[in-house]
Amino acid sequence: MPTSTDLLALLPELILILSAGIFLLLEAFVPSSRRNIPLLTMVSAALACWARVALPLPGSSFSGMVRIDRVSAFVDVYILAAVLLTAWMAGPFLRRTKTEGGEFYSLLLLAASGAMIMASSTDLLALFLGLELLSIPLYVLNAYFRKTEIGLEAGLKYFVVGAFAAGFVAFGIALLYGAAGSTNMEVIGRTILHGEGSTPLLVVGLAMFVGGMAFKLALVPFHGWAPDVYQGSPTPVTAFLSVVPKGAALVVLLRLAANLDLFHLTGHWVWAAGIIAVASQTLGNIVAIVQRDVKRMLAYSGIAHMGYAMVGVIVGGSDGSAAVLFYLAAYTFMNMGAFAVIALMSENENEPHLISDMAGQGFKRPVAALALTVCMFSLAGVPPFVGFTAKFLVFRSAVNQGLLALAILGVINSLVSAFYYLRVVYMLYMRPLPKREPAFAKSAMLTATAGVAALAVLLIGLFPSPMIRAAQSAAQLFLR
Amino acid sequence: MQIPHLLTIVTIGPAVAAGVLGLIPGRYERLHRWLALLASVVLFVVSLFLWTGFNPDVAGFQLVDGPIAWIPQLGINYTLGMDGISLLLVLLTTLLIPVVILASWTSISERVKGFHISLLLLTTGMIGAFLALDLFLFYVFWELMLIPMYFIIGIWGGARRIYAAVKFFIYTMVGSVFMLVAILYLGFFHHQLTGVWSFAYADFLKTAPQLAMGSSILHSPQLLVFLAFALAFAIKVPMFPFHTWLPDAHVEAPTGGSIILAGVLLKLGTYGFLRFNRALFPAAWEACVPLILILAVIGILYGAWVAMVQPDMKKLVAYSSVSHLGFVMLGLAAGTIASTQGAVLQMVNHGLSTGALFLLVGVIYERRHTRLIADYGGIAKVVPIYTGLFLLVTLSSIGLPGLNGFVGEFLILAGSWEKYPAVVVLGALGIIFGAVYMLWMVQRVFWSPFAHEENRDLKDINLREVLAVLPLLVFIVWIGVHPTTFLSPMEAAVRLLLAR
Repeated sequence: MPTSTDLLALLPELILILSAGIFLLLEAFVPSSRRNIPLLTMVSAALACWARVALPLPGSSFSGMVRIDRVSAFVDVYILAAVLLTAWMAGPFLRRTKTEGGEFYSLLLLAASGAMIMASSTDLLALFLGLELLSIPLYVLNAYFRKTEIGLEAGLKYFVVGAFAAGFVAFGIALLYGAAGSTNMEVIGRTILHGEGSTPLLVVGLAMFVGGMAFKLALVPFHGWAPDVYQGSPTPVTAFLSVVPKGAALVVLLRLAANLDLFHLTGHWVWAAGIIAVASQTLGNIVAIVQRDVKRMLAYSGIAHMGYAMVGVIVGGSDGSAAVLFYLAAYTFMNMGAFAVIALMSENENEPHLISDMAGQGFKRPVAALALTVCMFSLAGVPPFVGFTAKFLVFRSAVNQGLLALAILGVINSLVSAFYYLRVVYMLYMRPLPKREPAFAKSAMLTATAGVAALAVLLIGLFPSPMIRAAQSAAQLFLR
Repeated sequence: MQIPHLLTIVTIGPAVAAGVLGLIPGRYERLHRWLALLASVVLFVVSLFLWTGFNPDVAGFQLVDGPIAWIPQLGINYTLGMDGISLLLVLLTTLLIPVVILASWTSISERVKGFHISLLLLTTGMIGAFLALDLFLFYVFWELMLIPMYFIIGIWGGARRIYAAVKFFIYTMVGSVFMLVAILYLGFFHHQLTGVWSFAYADFLKTAPQLAMGSSILHSPQLLVFLAFALAFAIKVPMFPFHTWLPDAHVEAPTGGSIILAGVLLKLGTYGFLRFNRALFPAAWEACVPLILILAVIGILYGAWVAMVQPDMKKLVAYSSVSHLGFVMLGLAAGTIASTQGAVLQMVNHGLSTGALFLLVGVIYERRHTRLIADYGGIAKVVPIYTGLFLLVTLSSIGLPGLNGFVGEFLILAGSWEKYPAVVVLGALGIIFGAVYMLWMVQRVFWSPFAHEENRDLKDINLREVLAVLPLLVFIVWIGVHPTTFLSPMEAAVRLLLAR
């Protein structure tokens, strides 16, 4: 039986789930309250965030199924920040596309609580539950524009691929259980430490499990779904999808790498994961160059960014893990800001979001365009924005670990990426306004969302110290 | 008088001014121009306190601001400091900003607000890069220059501006990303030796020279790190064969952008060679001197020859930059005190002379909308004052005794003679070619038979334009007549640097 401390440990998740239930009921019985649900969602996210930060971190809970530690706290805070920004974006966006509904926010909160559980689990079964709680609401959200073809395609694609990934993960868990006799990561780690090291069963199990996570991270060669799903999902959902599941999956990998000491377990880990990381960066960046739709471009850019973050996972230890945690938080703000501006773009989601449609918007919608510009430069890794600091930390950890090649390939890749990020800026400021304006809609709310995210990108970039401290103190747990 | 945090004020001041401009709606164009001019003039006046507060007898860094913990977890501090070398380059920068604003007064007629904000942010980047004493901080300022310059070329540039802007951005970034890895490696190496995380220049001065020099490039960390820095700076200078971005950027940039590009941005490359490559990696520098000398001479001669056949005045001046910067690199590579002082002075000279040339080319372009030499001819009678100024600047650029260019070139060549006489002979050829292409251009534009009726009503240079070019002329003559004023502050710093 869960004790009251156990329940208290999951209070933030419970707040989200409870709110999700209430919103569904409100939607059904008090339809007039619909307009206020975005605000209520933000409130409940803020409340959950407060609960996580203010309450003591109990550590291992639910008989070792989850571990609420400083890593969970760090991840939860940025997941909740992402929820907050998504809800902020979704309100005006759904109103403009005339698809308002309370269930949107319920699903959002459920998915977020799944991601939080996933990032906190130390037991693979709890992790699997979290994964499903994250994925199933997302399948619905992807197909939220159910009357458009690309919306349905996005939902179906993410569903089929997600089911595959879940299969991979479940199969991997089964094999790991077979190899170590437990589903608890810490126990598996200890068994390996005292046992014979890497057995075939263990290696195959790990490969399946990591492969399943790579699906969620859209790493090469498991990336095929990303562009279509990004393009077809409602823009706020794309924003959420581009940061939250990826963050949770990366943290799972961090915990796995730390508990099993993957860096030292087998020499294959650095090679295999290194190839995946570099291939993701390279493919993501090169294919992004030829994209005409900005959402598809950001999908490929996301593939590349997870490739950079993987470098930190490979390095592991406290140094690499801190870099990954910082990277996730940085990536959240840059992506949220970019998608908030993209949410201004078209009337319905069946229309493509062409980069060329942004022509001349720089002087027509200065605030939104400036926010997008900041996010683009940050994604390209240009100082003084936070994207640079994040890359700096990741590559620094690689250099310090003697993985100079990963750092060099990484910087060459971020050089390539500058090319397509710059094209957005070029469209915004260096092209005349077309006669027929496909234009950014006028929405103070969405512009404000983008502005806040961009401001965070700039300020954290200029003064990264507090966040680095938080990430480092969380990553102490991964000390080798 | 001592002003606390003077270096920070000079560095961050322009960015603050840019922020203020950002708050004023763009439709008040005149207000933006006047405020930007005011800010830049105030900046210049404040920067004069750098000169008065500077003690020429002290070799090390002065007026040091910091270290203030910035990212203490990684040992990164905010530290600014100035020696005689950076003093001159910072003053050159603050002198050029009001000149640029005056030169762009009528030629920038659209997006006035954005132009001045970009310019002021660029100023912060440039001054910060000259003053930063922490390599992380240096890198941030170094990259900070990219974005505004990209906008200045891309928004206010000529017909092929997009191509030029992207080329500029990508080229510069190619160099700097490898420099970033090198900086990371230096930090790691410092930690290995001392157990302390640091990116401070002063710390690296102690540890970086201890990087191993192996027999081959791949087994020599010092050489690899040296080359990573050198690539970044060689692209910026630009040294042959990394110069191809420069003519595009110059030709497409608006006049103000060209002045800044030639006047200051290129100097960051040569400054970087001196401050980082020369001081941090003495052994690798020693090994690479022949290569640098060869590339410098190729740059001098190649730049001059290509300049000679240019039909476009701006492109001609752009290629002459490649040639002149070759001289600077020659002086740095020769490494005697006289040649190094000459090189630093020549950085300033080139900023003044080439800045003035771009400005004057911009003046006539604004009237006729062509820069082709063939479209002019015999206009000396139509625009006598303009002709006189142009001739003066040309003579300064080709090194006429009594003007600034002569002093720099003479010191470089005389200082290098004892070590590399053959190189000096080749370099001196470059001076002759320089005189040829510049004077030939002047002759074709101003004195050949009057060819085009459109030039009949050409208006002479106006008061604003004279005011823009005047500060440059003052220093052109001052340095030429009394170079000691500018040579003595940097002497101690140069001696210290070369003694490493």
